[in-house]
Amino acid sequence: MSEMNTPDAPFATEDAAPQPLLRTLAPLLRGLVRPLRAWLENRRKFPLSMMQRAELEGLAEDLQRQSEMLDVEKPLLVVMLMGGTGVGKSTLLNALAGGPIAQASFTRPTTRDPVVYFHHSVKSERLDPALRVCRLVQHDRAGLEQKVIVDTPDLDSNDLTNRDKLIALLPVADIVLYVGSQEKYHDRLGWDLFKEQRHRRAFAFVLNKWDRCVTGESGVQPDEDLLADLKAEGFQNPLLFRTTAQLWLDAANVYSGSGNPPKPAGLPAGEQFSLLRNWLELGLTRLEIEAVKARGVGQLLTQLTRFAETIRPPDLSVESEKVKSVWERTLAEEADVQADVLVGTLEPYQTEVEHHFSVEDQSRFRGLMAAYLRVTTRLRYAGSGLRDKIPFGGLKGRLLGGRVDTPVEWNLGAFVQECARTAGERVLDQRSTALINRLLVEGEAKGFPLTLLTDPATCAGRLDWRERMTRGVIEALAEVERQATNPTGFRRLIRGALSLMANTLPEIALVATVGTLLWNFFVPTPPVIPDFFQMSLVVLIPLIVIVALHLLILLLLPVRWPAIRYQFRKQLGVRLAAELGHAYLAIPGEVSTAIQEEREQVDSLIAEAKQVADWLAERQQAAQVAELYGKSSRDQEFTLPRDSTASRGI
Amino acid sequence: MQPTEHRSAVGQLADDLRWLEDHCRRQPDLAAEAGTLRLASALTRNVIGPFLEGQPSRPLHICVVGGAGAGKSTVVNLLAGDIVAEANPQAGFTRHPTAFLPPGPGFQWPSYIGFMGPLNRLTSDKPANVDENVYAVKRIPVPSGANEKSAHPLGEFVIWDCPDMTTWASEGYVARLMEVAALSDVIVYVASDERYNDAVPTEFLHLLVKAGKAVVVALTKMRPQDADSFIAHFKQEILGRLPKLPNGETPAVPVVAIPHLSVSERADPTGAGSKYRIQLLNQILVQCESDDLTRARTVTNAAKYLSTAGDGLLDVARKDLAELDEWKAAVNAGRAVFEDRYRHEYLSGEQFRRFDRFRERLTDLLELPGAGRVVGGIFWALRSPYRWTRDYVFGLVARPDVLNLSEQTVLNGALTGWLDTLQAEALRKDGTQQSLWRQIAVRFDAELSPQARDRFANDLRAFELKQSEDLEQAGKALVDGVEKNPALLYTLRGGKFVLDLVIIGNVVYFTWPPGWLLLLIPFGVSASHQFAELTTRAVAEGARHRVRSHRESLVTGSLSVPLAAWLAEWPITGGTSFEKLQQVLRRVPDAIRTMEVRVKAKVAEMTKPKEAPPPIPAPEAPT
Repeated sequence: MSEMNTPDAPFATEDAAPQPLLRTLAPLLRGLVRPLRAWLENRRKFPLSMMQRAELEGLAEDLQRQSEMLDVEKPLLVVMLMGGTGVGKSTLLNALAGGPIAQASFTRPTTRDPVVYFHHSVKSERLDPALRVCRLVQHDRAGLEQKVIVDTPDLDSNDLTNRDKLIALLPVADIVLYVGSQEKYHDRLGWDLFKEQRHRRAFAFVLNKWDRCVTGESGVQPDEDLLADLKAEGFQNPLLFRTTAQLWLDAANVYSGSGNPPKPAGLPAGEQFSLLRNWLELGLTRLEIEAVKARGVGQLLTQLTRFAETIRPPDLSVESEKVKSVWERTLAEEADVQADVLVGTLEPYQTEVEHHFSVEDQSRFRGLMAAYLRVTTRLRYAGSGLRDKIPFGGLKGRLLGGRVDTPVEWNLGAFVQECARTAGERVLDQRSTALINRLLVEGEAKGFPLTLLTDPATCAGRLDWRERMTRGVIEALAEVERQATNPTGFRRLIRGALSLMANTLPEIALVATVGTLLWNFFVPTPPVIPDFFQMSLVVLIPLIVIVALHLLILLLLPVRWPAIRYQFRKQLGVRLAAELGHAYLAIPGEVSTAIQEEREQVDSLIAEAKQVADWLAERQQAAQVAELYGKSSRDQEFTLPRDSTASRGI
Repeated sequence: MQPTEHRSAVGQLADDLRWLEDHCRRQPDLAAEAGTLRLASALTRNVIGPFLEGQPSRPLHICVVGGAGAGKSTVVNLLAGDIVAEANPQAGFTRHPTAFLPPGPGFQWPSYIGFMGPLNRLTSDKPANVDENVYAVKRIPVPSGANEKSAHPLGEFVIWDCPDMTTWASEGYVARLMEVAALSDVIVYVASDERYNDAVPTEFLHLLVKAGKAVVVALTKMRPQDADSFIAHFKQEILGRLPKLPNGETPAVPVVAIPHLSVSERADPTGAGSKYRIQLLNQILVQCESDDLTRARTVTNAAKYLSTAGDGLLDVARKDLAELDEWKAAVNAGRAVFEDRYRHEYLSGEQFRRFDRFRERLTDLLELPGAGRVVGGIFWALRSPYRWTRDYVFGLVARPDVLNLSEQTVLNGALTGWLDTLQAEALRKDGTQQSLWRQIAVRFDAELSPQARDRFANDLRAFELKQSEDLEQAGKALVDGVEKNPALLYTLRGGKFVLDLVIIGNVVYFTWPPGWLLLLIPFGVSASHQFAELTTRAVAEGARHRVRSHRESLVTGSLSVPLAAWLAEWPITGGTSFEKLQQVLRRVPDAIRTMEVRVKAKVAEMTKPKEAPPPIPAPEAPT
């Protein structure tokens, strides 16, 4: 500590070769800000908390600011004084300036408006917007040409707006000069802020009012105490200046010549204000400024990568598969219940369905058989005709009116809709919310965050399920009907044979009977005059044949509700499961793909940041080779001391 | 009231307040309340408890507080009149409170149970480490060469040197500071020229004023020429914004300026530093007229502070209670859906076919008994053609019922839906570590869900027994209403029989001689029977309707309401922090009220016999 702060230690010379490093860095940073902002603005599935969002926006802002500030010939170094009220920040600045440019007094808090102290050659437009609104004071000291010194409001007084002002200014700082006094060097508010900021910027420390520390009393001296604390925080060899700014200011007020005022009398032992001034004026050369800036950018990038890693969405592809398999089971169960309910609502209409199937089945018959069947069916289902007169006006008219040409037109329309409506009102509508909750809870149990699934699942639940059910019922009925009317295998054979017989035998029987009667009448002599019974045989024999065939048909190819119901239930179950699966099963996969995409975006962001950081580190390495030729890069000591290169000392 | 009873009541209250404080500390947005509660619990332990137990008023306690490096130890030395406290340039050097007893044979050191709460008296010379919760007790040495008789000006006082509350290490020991501050009768608040407008110490000062402590401010380290304007500025900036005292008055706080002392002044408090010392001593002594009055004021104000703090207790739990209310609302919404589903999915389609049995029995009852059976048989035979026709037509026209899901399926489905809604809600709201929803979400699968299902299964068994009984009873009542009432029964039977006879008689009489028109007899008899059947059907339908509506209330009463009540209370049972919170919130306000009443009584008792003017609080010193 002591040896590195001796006033005559060789500081880097002013005429170092200009490094294009920073100007090249600017476009790289801009290239990083763009995707970051775009990523922030995009709608994403994986949510960011308010805090995370604010943090990221802050980082983006910092990057933006850095890229703008670096893109100039001579980048400005912002040194910011930070500390509690009354520690002497303003006095320190006044002493540095050699005159009262910042208000200093015993009333606390004194400084309410920050003071910005900068070289007159710097146009105020070049200052950061946050600084432009402060009180601007210009100077003409060549040593401070590229430096902007900012006096900030306090961080611990009762005036809380002061703290907010400080927090708003801090992002601008490259180097923070942490000012403490004998009373306050240990204060929690300042220390917390330091710990929060230390990974972002360079820190140097000032222990002002040094005269109050040198009391001759026993015990740990404040500077040793502070150094020990800093060591515990990882600052092996921090820059610490012990100052008594008030005395220097008093001396400067008296002094009227040009240049730095002389050393005031009565300085306490170990006072280091002149060292601080030297460090600011000479120690921070252009090269060092660039190194500090580069280091600042490096820290920012590290911060960004680290933070981006914490917000990287998880990989959910395995979970999505698990969720999908669980959901399949749940949805199948749900489809079963829904099918049961729908079939249950169809129950009252069983005669209609049966009738319809009979009629449908009979359409393949022709001639006498068809006529016979039409009559019997009408008799058998007379009840449903009667019923039409009572409820459900036109519905059954269509059902029983015999317009049964195509199965599609039979298409129940209103009838099935009526069923689905009843089922929906009674049972199904309430089940859909319950189903979504079930699915979400199961998803969470399999490790898929509930919040990610909620929206898409709710959307799927909001689909028009009634319409889908209606369609399912109609399709299932049509399918059952198709199976009934176009059987396969053995049934098909029987059916073909029966149809053939039913379409031919009655006519053959009729022709044969009539033929026999005619033969008997004309051919034999004497002609057999048919009596009433024989005449009636013309009708009776075909009728007997028809009835026999009808019984055969009923026996071999029955059209009964329980059979239809069984088939229908099976078909409906399959169809509803398909509908539900279609709506829900894709969700986990889609969400996990979207999340995966977001994950890749974050990864690419991290990769880009790393690339820039690596490039920067490489260039810094090169710059450190230049150091071997007699230039010191002091900033390392107070930036990232855990870094092995940083603690090498001098 | 026995002292032990006082002690347990005070201990309970202090523990409850401590628990609430911990509860607040776990929630970042309530951290501000934690200080209030800490002070409240310390006041209960150290001020109210000993007072009610009848501990002596002596000694009084002076406590020197302030930010790090403000000069507390220097002020302590001024008060003690000797270099007793180690002034040290290291900020936050003092980490344990130290009590300085006046020189000479003094009073007994208070040693009742619960004194200083978690802090122990230090037995060794130095604390083992900075984290040890101890306080030290030292005696101010008798000044050399002083007269034995010349008493120390603060002979009745214990002077406490306290740790600071501003350094980053103070979080670990601010509790010790609170304990001592609560104990003391006079507080010396030390503020340096750097510190006096700092937020943290000012907040602490506000807390002390709210607790009704007598405060003397010592402003330190300013340049002597600035002293007056400094005091004025301090009065305006800080004292002008003080909160009101517990009794509603604006606090009058005397201010003493102690400029930056030279080393020699500091080294000799009774000599070179005496002008500041006397000023300070005067201000302190003026606040303490007599032991008893001062103590009475401290206790009264402490009790008042407790009752105001007690009013704010609900604020502390506001968030938790709001979350609990949300949970209850979610449970009740779930209950409504549950009942709705039962109504729609089961009840709306249920026909209670078992009830038809009773309707048939009712119809049978109208038939004649005994020998009348023969007549009944004849009528039955006469009605046969009509009956056949009617049954055939009815079979054609009537539709089968909608097939219902079974009651058990519906109920279980609805329960699953209910629990799922709650779980999804809990997972969705799963916020901070402490929140109720988080605790519920974590314990849902393992505890809540199986427990709820168990309870439901039990309730369901009871419900099924009840509902079946209910149906039987309703049917029985229907039948019994007629069967057990012979007058009505015979009137109905007789009426029907007479009606039949009248019909037959009329037909025979009007269509005589007998011909085809006699067929009107079976027709008429059928009509009368049909009328009777329709009547019984109407009566039975009424009863069925009653069963249906009763079933709904049965489900509500024996299934959904008990379960909802259990679910709503679940988060605050089973030894959770919410259960404790509820207990504490119930207990604390009452305890505070009782304590205040007792303190009032005791203070009145203590001040009365003296016949002296009872200024409570004692008149404040002019500033």
